Amino acid sequence: MKNICILFVLFALLAVPALAVRLQVVTTYPYIADLVEQVGQDRVRVHAMAGGQWDPHTIVPKPSFIAKLRRADLLVINGAQLEIGWLPPLMNQANNPRTNVGSSGLLDLSRYVELIDVPTSVSRAHGDIHPDGNPHFHLNPDNIPPLAQAIADRLAEIDMENASFYLNNCEAFTKKWEERLPIWAEKMSALRGQWVIEYHKNYDYLLHHYGIQLLGTVESLPGIPPTSRHIVALEQKIQNNAPRCILQDVYNPAEASEHLARKFDIPMIVLPHDIGAVREAEGIFSLFDEIIRRLTHE
Amino acid sequence: MKTISWGALLLSLTLMTAPATAQGSTKGSGNPFEQSKFVPDISLIVDVSAAYRNFLDSRYEQFAIPGFSSPYADNPAEELEGMNGRRGFNFNYGELVLYSVVDPYFDLFGVFTLNEDEFGVEEAYFTTRFLPYGLKVKGGKFLSHFGRINEQHTHYWDFANAPLVHNVFFGESMLNDKGFRLTWVPPTDFYLLFGGEIMQGENAMSYGHDGIANPAGDTVIEEAGGPNMFVAYVKTSLDVGNLTILGGVSNAYGSTRSNHGLDVAGEPGEAVSGDTNVLGGDLTFKYMFDSIRYVSIQGEYVYRHFNGRQYTKDETDTVSDQALKRRQGGLYAQVVGRLTKRWRMGGRLDLLHLNNIYLEHIKQDHPSNLPRFTTMLEYNPTEFSRLRLQYSYDRSRFELLSAGDLRRPTHELVFQINLAIGAHGAHAF
Ligand SMILES: [Zn+2]
Repeated sequence: MKNICILFVLFALLAVPALAVRLQVVTTYPYIADLVEQVGQDRVRVHAMAGGQWDPHTIVPKPSFIAKLRRADLLVINGAQLEIGWLPPLMNQANNPRTNVGSSGLLDLSRYVELIDVPTSVSRAHGDIHPDGNPHFHLNPDNIPPLAQAIADRLAEIDMENASFYLNNCEAFTKKWEERLPIWAEKMSALRGQWVIEYHKNYDYLLHHYGIQLLGTVESLPGIPPTSRHIVALEQKIQNNAPRCILQDVYNPAEASEHLARKFDIPMIVLPHDIGAVREAEGIFSLFDEIIRRLTHE
Repeated sequence: MKTISWGALLLSLTLMTAPATAQGSTKGSGNPFEQSKFVPDISLIVDVSAAYRNFLDSRYEQFAIPGFSSPYADNPAEELEGMNGRRGFNFNYGELVLYSVVDPYFDLFGVFTLNEDEFGVEEAYFTTRFLPYGLKVKGGKFLSHFGRINEQHTHYWDFANAPLVHNVFFGESMLNDKGFRLTWVPPTDFYLLFGGEIMQGENAMSYGHDGIANPAGDTVIEEAGGPNMFVAYVKTSLDVGNLTILGGVSNAYGSTRSNHGLDVAGEPGEAVSGDTNVLGGDLTFKYMFDSIRYVSIQGEYVYRHFNGRQYTKDETDTVSDQALKRRQGGLYAQVVGRLTKRWRMGGRLDLLHLNNIYLEHIKQDHPSNLPRFTTMLEYNPTEFSRLRLQYSYDRSRFELLSAGDLRRPTHELVFQINLAIGAHGAHAF
């Protein structure tokens, strides 16, 4: 008991110099961290909790995340309930009122884009559905500038001294981003109107944006592995529509997709869903470069 | 309160939420005093099981763990009302969880246990949401954060029952009491948590504060004023690549007052008075192979130190007392692996290895090697449903015969189904 008290005092003393001057930003996913870095550069210190190679729906809530959240001035989340299965208890244990729901230190990016596939009726009979709509919205390249803007506006609000720095960086980033859009669109034009299959509805925003049609998902329902009956139905669709490829993420088992690819002699393409999912996707630009390279590479 | 039908309770909750879906976002119509937007997060968990043991219930309920359970315990059958208690089918529990933000200053949680004919408050507490410097206060009735597993709800356990050492020191409902907790998360780069709890101290297995009288009504043991239990702990964690290590040390200290029939006339009985100090250490290693598969090794060691007096009463209501010391300890160590998205399996060793009881400084003859071996296989169709098959071989239980205690090795097979509906519960580490 006494020893614990001494430890308390000791750590209270150690804690003071540990407080950094730069704005501490914690994000749930790596793509958000990269956007924060684009806008905040050397005035912020960013840490992404999830790794890009992990399933964004089920991140293991490591206690080390609590230490990061404890010190955060700003927490930026994807939202649309993508973090519902892992983030709330961590926030609860971090004892940080700055990032409470309703405080300026919590930024929910899903509020700044339009969600697709908003279900009209919500029941888990349809699997582990996303009740607010598909949350994987960052793969629509048109959504990136408004997300960066939302981050810049919030940084400017919290750290008023550097407001113009953040807003100028955001403007420069958006300009650079918009220069890439026609290059990607040009490359992707070959896929317009074609059918594809994906494992989970991870890439719908990307497909929508480039006018690619989704024939079906390999998983039978969101979060539920494929059943043989579902595969039979999917095979029927493949025979009728001749899809261009099967899109597989890096974290779900690939056996079912590989089986379909072999059986119908169509390519299975492993697509990164976030920065760090594959080696080439090092930042938000290279994430899209790599997705488009893999999709258009014959 | 006890006879509230929980069907009625659920029905009223359903009615509360119904207008939200019926009305949607239509503007200008409906009740101007609409409150449905303020309905808290609600979830219901139901746990049922089928159990088999190589002894009939009437026989099994006579068994005890020598030195850990009192031979005068008034109702040993009570134990069988718990998890997987009966041979055959069991309704283990229903658990209703309500949570909401109260205002900018507080959060409120309620966890209610629904038994067949009983409505119980397992936890009901507030936490602060405004304190600076990494501080948080929790108050109400809640599970102590002593060690690792004590604070987890039954639903999050990796096995169908609690570790043996928790069962004998804290009982089936674990260390769960009324009081306050203060936690501090210092602003360090790695995870560090300090916590202190002041509790009423009503845990029947190790603590208690009521005075105890003989059948004539004369005070034999003075009441210990509440609050009389104090818990302190430190926890920390380290990541090494894909390996996460979490460890902690805990201490629970308080007065002990326990009565097994000392106040009942004409029957033998006993009571105990003194101070109990429980020390615990916990360590978890979790290695993630990828996003889905992991293996986790977890263990806790718990040591109980008691100094006080034991009062025994015979049929003629004559009370005698002698000095009592207990030095008892035990551990559990488990390995659990997730093999695929849906399958998990694991094994657990329970061992009560220290069972030294001294009456007037003379060591009593109690067995000190009390193990239990458990293995389980789980199928999780989704995050919201779980089927579990568990086998255990329990060598901790004895039949207390006049000729001496006789070990009764027990084989137990449990098939358990656990389902959750409503608000999405997130798992802590
Ligand atoms: Zn999803």
